[in-house]
Amino acid sequence: MKKSVYKSAMSHLKTSEDFQEATYTKLMNHKERMNMELTKKRKAMGWTAGLAACAVLAAGILALNPSSPATTPSSQPSAAATAKPPIMGKVAVNIDGVISEVSADGKSFKVGDLWVEVTDQTKLGSSEPTAAKPSEELLRKNFQVGDIVSGYTSQDVSTGRVTADAIYNLIAPEKDGEAKPAVKGKAAVNIDGVISEVSEDGKSFKVGDLWVTVTPETKMGIDGPTAAEPSEELLQKEFKVGNIVSGFTTDDVGTGKVNATNIYNNMAPRQ
Amino acid sequence: MYNSFELNESVRRALGLYSQSLIKIAFAYLKNTADAEEVAQDVFLAYLQKRPVFENGEHEKAWLIRTTINKSKNRLKAGWFRSRNPVPDDLSYLPKEESDVLQAVLALDKKYRIPIHLHYYEGYSIQEIATILEAKPATVGTWLARGRALLKEKIGGMEDEEICL
Repeated sequence: MKKSVYKSAMSHLKTSEDFQEATYTKLMNHKERMNMELTKKRKAMGWTAGLAACAVLAAGILALNPSSPATTPSSQPSAAATAKPPIMGKVAVNIDGVISEVSADGKSFKVGDLWVEVTDQTKLGSSEPTAAKPSEELLRKNFQVGDIVSGYTSQDVSTGRVTADAIYNLIAPEKDGEAKPAVKGKAAVNIDGVISEVSEDGKSFKVGDLWVTVTPETKMGIDGPTAAEPSEELLQKEFKVGNIVSGFTTDDVGTGKVNATNIYNNMAPRQ
Repeated sequence: MYNSFELNESVRRALGLYSQSLIKIAFAYLKNTADAEEVAQDVFLAYLQKRPVFENGEHEKAWLIRTTINKSKNRLKAGWFRSRNPVPDDLSYLPKEESDVLQAVLALDKKYRIPIHLHYYEGYSIQEIATILEAKPATVGTWLARGRALLKEKIGGMEDEEICL
């Protein structure tokens, strides 16, 4: 049997001695690289998916709250709570209370812990349409300890000293010993009850503890539009003990004796 | 499917069993040992990446040979490979008879060269070669007969003597 020269020649062909090891090492390195790339790819995919989800959420929030500012997402309520929008314009603070101290020049006074200065720019009195007319009684000329003051300032009260923008009222306190003005006008008091006593002349009667006298000025009966027609039954001519009488007087009932201003009814008791 | 350890072991085993065969097939195509080794490495890389499942060892070897042939063909077609004008290996270190026979086979057209290699080096039958090369067995038989005839013309020999490969 002849020897296969071709097979022998191919068998003697020189190849790299470490081909197997070198190839195996190269394959394992490649595999490791592939795994790393796969991990990176997964990470990238994860980030992409996360960012996409965030974008969708943000878009959803914006779509649901179109009026909310885009720079303050509603997902951060604490941040939104702390970052309040700046206050625009001036803040007015009321000045109300009793003056506890007045400066030597008389242009500053102390209300509570706040020193208030009155300058030429301070508006005195109120120009509101419903305000009372300026008077010495409501707006005194000099600040005195004990006066009741009201007004406002637009300055920062935390400094402890401000200039008043306006002083509406400066009223002197009421003095205990001062006589109060008399109450003017008449007060009407009802006369209602059963006559317990009649005077000899028959022109006076007693209801409870009050003696009531009927004079020519006393109006008899009711003249209102809904009043019943005058009748002997409802308004008898003679006052008798036991009759039910109603009317009113404008006299002072404290004296125990009054003149009747009007007598509506004078009825005999029912049998 | 393999797990990572099984795959590593499978590759290591395939390297031990088939690396020389794959280098020789690639050499039969490319006529250069360095290129042949690169192709063989690419084949094992494909094995690692695709993780094919085989019915048996023969199936595995056939897949590796088929992949080697495809990669060798691709390399021959590649512009960078053709422009490089690779120099065939110097085979002077082989005994003269072996060197002459090998040079004569490598000088054949590749459609005759590969069936001759698979038949005379790997020992595959015409049917098996037909399966690997995805050709008809009759065609493979024709390629083998013509290849042998061409070699007989080059190497010479008695009229009635079958060429010794």
